[in-house]
Amino acid sequence: MSRATRTALVRDDRTAYEAAAGAAVGISGIVFVVGLATLLGVVGIDDPVAGLELSVLFGVVLLALGVTVVGFGMASRLGYVDAAPQPSAGIVAAAAFTGIWFAVGAAVSGAAGIGTAGRLAVGAVLGGSAFAVTAFPREDVGSTVPVGAVAGLCGLSLVVGVIGPGWEQALVGYNATLFGDTVVPVVVLFTSLVTGWSAAKAYGGFGARGRNVGAYVLIYLVVGSILTVLVGLVAFVTVRGLPGLFGGFSVGGASLVSWPFLTNGAGLTADVAGVFPALLGTVWLVIGAVLFAVPTGVGAAVFLSEYAEQGRFTGAVEVATNGLWSTPSIVFGLFGAAFLIPRFGNQKSLIAGMLTLGFMLLPLVLITSREAILAVPDEYRDASAALGVSKWKTIRSVVLPAAIPGIATGVILGVGRIAGETAPILLTMGGGVLPGKSAAPDVLGGFQLSGSPPFVSNPALLEATSALPYQLYALITAGLSGNIENPQEFAWGLALTLLLVVLVFYAVGIATRYYFRRKLHQ
Amino acid sequence: MSLTNTTTDWRAGIERRLTRTREFLDETDPEALTVVTVSMGSLLAAFLGFLLASPWAAVPFGAFLTATGYGWARHQALIARAVTLAMTTVTLVTLGLIVVFIFAESIPAFRYETASAFGISVPGLGMFAQPRWDAVSEPVRYSLLPMIHGTVMVTTIATLVAAPLGVAAALFIAEIAPPTVRELVKPGIEVLAGIPSIVYGFIGFTVINPWASGAFDLNGGSTYLFVGIVVGLMALPTVVSVAEDALTSVPDVMKHGSLALGATDWQSMTSITLPAAFSGVSAAVLLGVGRAIGETMAATVMLAGIPRISEPLVNVFYGYETLTSLIARGYGSANGVHESALFAAGVVLFVTVLCLSIGSQYIEARMRRRLGGAE
Repeated sequence: MSRATRTALVRDDRTAYEAAAGAAVGISGIVFVVGLATLLGVVGIDDPVAGLELSVLFGVVLLALGVTVVGFGMASRLGYVDAAPQPSAGIVAAAAFTGIWFAVGAAVSGAAGIGTAGRLAVGAVLGGSAFAVTAFPREDVGSTVPVGAVAGLCGLSLVVGVIGPGWEQALVGYNATLFGDTVVPVVVLFTSLVTGWSAAKAYGGFGARGRNVGAYVLIYLVVGSILTVLVGLVAFVTVRGLPGLFGGFSVGGASLVSWPFLTNGAGLTADVAGVFPALLGTVWLVIGAVLFAVPTGVGAAVFLSEYAEQGRFTGAVEVATNGLWSTPSIVFGLFGAAFLIPRFGNQKSLIAGMLTLGFMLLPLVLITSREAILAVPDEYRDASAALGVSKWKTIRSVVLPAAIPGIATGVILGVGRIAGETAPILLTMGGGVLPGKSAAPDVLGGFQLSGSPPFVSNPALLEATSALPYQLYALITAGLSGNIENPQEFAWGLALTLLLVVLVFYAVGIATRYYFRRKLHQ
Repeated sequence: MSLTNTTTDWRAGIERRLTRTREFLDETDPEALTVVTVSMGSLLAAFLGFLLASPWAAVPFGAFLTATGYGWARHQALIARAVTLAMTTVTLVTLGLIVVFIFAESIPAFRYETASAFGISVPGLGMFAQPRWDAVSEPVRYSLLPMIHGTVMVTTIATLVAAPLGVAAALFIAEIAPPTVRELVKPGIEVLAGIPSIVYGFIGFTVINPWASGAFDLNGGSTYLFVGIVVGLMALPTVVSVAEDALTSVPDVMKHGSLALGATDWQSMTSITLPAAFSGVSAAVLLGVGRAIGETMAATVMLAGIPRISEPLVNVFYGYETLTSLIARGYGSANGVHESALFAAGVVLFVTVLCLSIGSQYIEARMRRRLGGAE
């Protein structure tokens, strides 16, 4: 009788075991979250919980988890439960545990004051035995015993207090000291990850299914942490920035809404310092970059996808576009400084910033527009051609309208990206740290005609102008101080404003995409 | 034999092209041809004028606008084709201009740092053969080694963060997540890409650096460790979106075949999807590395700004300077050879990242060929 049929059909006796394994996964998850909270300083590792110090409690729980995990493995190995373990835990797990135990050996012997050669030797011995224990026995032993050993060691050292509150270890030559406050949470986080993975494998009955569950637990955890970081970042900036952003905000009165942070400059006359000049600078910057990059990018995309034959020229343009896309922003800044500034009055200016950001926006627009145009079905073009419509008319009245949603999405997301760029405008546009309201650029009213070349000029475009990201940088380099009431609050308000401007672009771009996609599928 | 063949092919190609051009010229309205020639000629003249920094560049630019406007009204199809062609060349021209201007500005620094190896003097060798960068006190030297070391440290840590997390998240979005969750996670990670780098830097400067300073009892709060983690977080969305594209481009029939044989989802992923998309996923990691190398503001704000190599080499608890932060911090106050040395740092950055970009494009093209043109 083959093992596969036995495990697939007889599942009743595994319910208690599965429940225990599920509980172990859950407890590991809880330990992970609490460990994260201690790392972030929400709880202290010496806080008393149920009569014990938190770090000791951590140790007890980890020890118990380690014993349980080994118990799962043994129960499966001795045949008390039906599982489908494979002959070996696999080379990936073996390599991982070799690495872990090598590090443990090296760290522990290092703390015991053994020299480099000794540390390497201890690490190698421990790593080698971990490899043997993981790779050679059957999977249920190989993926539980090394885990149990890790959890047991960490748990014991926490219970006994080898590592704990007040523990410290100077890293000689590294100019740093490790404290219990940071090491304990890190150890706890790591150990709970390992026990969680092992318990999840046991829950799946080892074998292919066990590996599936184990891997999924880790992947869900990764995605969960990424999203937590994202939400945490935005929430953090929002909470810190709201007081600055809404300082002096009022509804009603002479003007319907009074929002001094967005409508004031930072001069002495303003009672609430605001970011108006930088906000207007960012707006003009975006407009200028869009005016340059969008027609150029869309035109190039039309030519590449409708007119050009696939060949060396299109290949070169593609390589150049992708190359420009990945060129670091600071290199664009250097380019703008070397190429544009000497040609626009030899000083940092709004128009140099606009064009530099335009150069950065160009590949983004080109790539997304090209994708959007290529996504228009060929039937559209054929139908139009069959009606006797010329090629250009087909492009203008059939292809481009159908591609507009994709192009618009790409442009909006690209604008969101360049609106927050600091490095290029740092080198090309400059501006003051805390500009007064009079420093806001007056582009529309600035155009002048003159009798000498270039006949049209606009001083507003040729002046150094501030923008939101640049002003934030300038504030940081000025040490978050300045001639205003509360520079810290001001800077956080500025950061929130910048974040909101960028996120609004992203939200609009993503919403556009969903709207048109749903319309397409109707 | 084959040589003559290629020559004849080549010649035939040119002849074919000449005939086609002649036919095109014969068929087209001479007035339209004139308008297009005037328009394109004046655009070229305006560009050349701009290159020479002449204020007179405005005149041909005006002529270009007039000719194009007239042509748009009378011969729209032809002028549209010509204008879009001109727009297509803009990317090539931009890349060319970047190369020319950055290299040209960096020449004095390369000259200054000439060193001899095996009796031959090599310009720029001094930037990589000794570790001293000091633009103020004698001996004034411009070695890029400390900054390259910093960039390598930050990029390594960032890659250790971004590559595994990014590939796991891409697997999740492409293979594991139910549709509703995917519709939430995907834009979420896109938004992560949108958070401006200066905001990360600001959080790093006001929150992480002071915390790290206390938590590890450091001399000042700048560490390559935390700059690397922050930069890794910023490179993460690039890795996720490119790797996810690669994973979804693996034909469904391959996965379905594996699942039909009774493999678990994870087995299908590790033995079918990931190997098939391997080149795409490694291209994603390469692009992520490129992002991490070029990340500027977080490094500038969080690092100490001292061009020095940490001791021991792998000490992540120091944070001195990277290539990008060197430029961002130094530009403006620098002049002469010092400014030129900043451009040299830019050249190193640009060349490295361009090589990574071209490498990843090559890998991706190979993968597309292997999967039989599946998009």
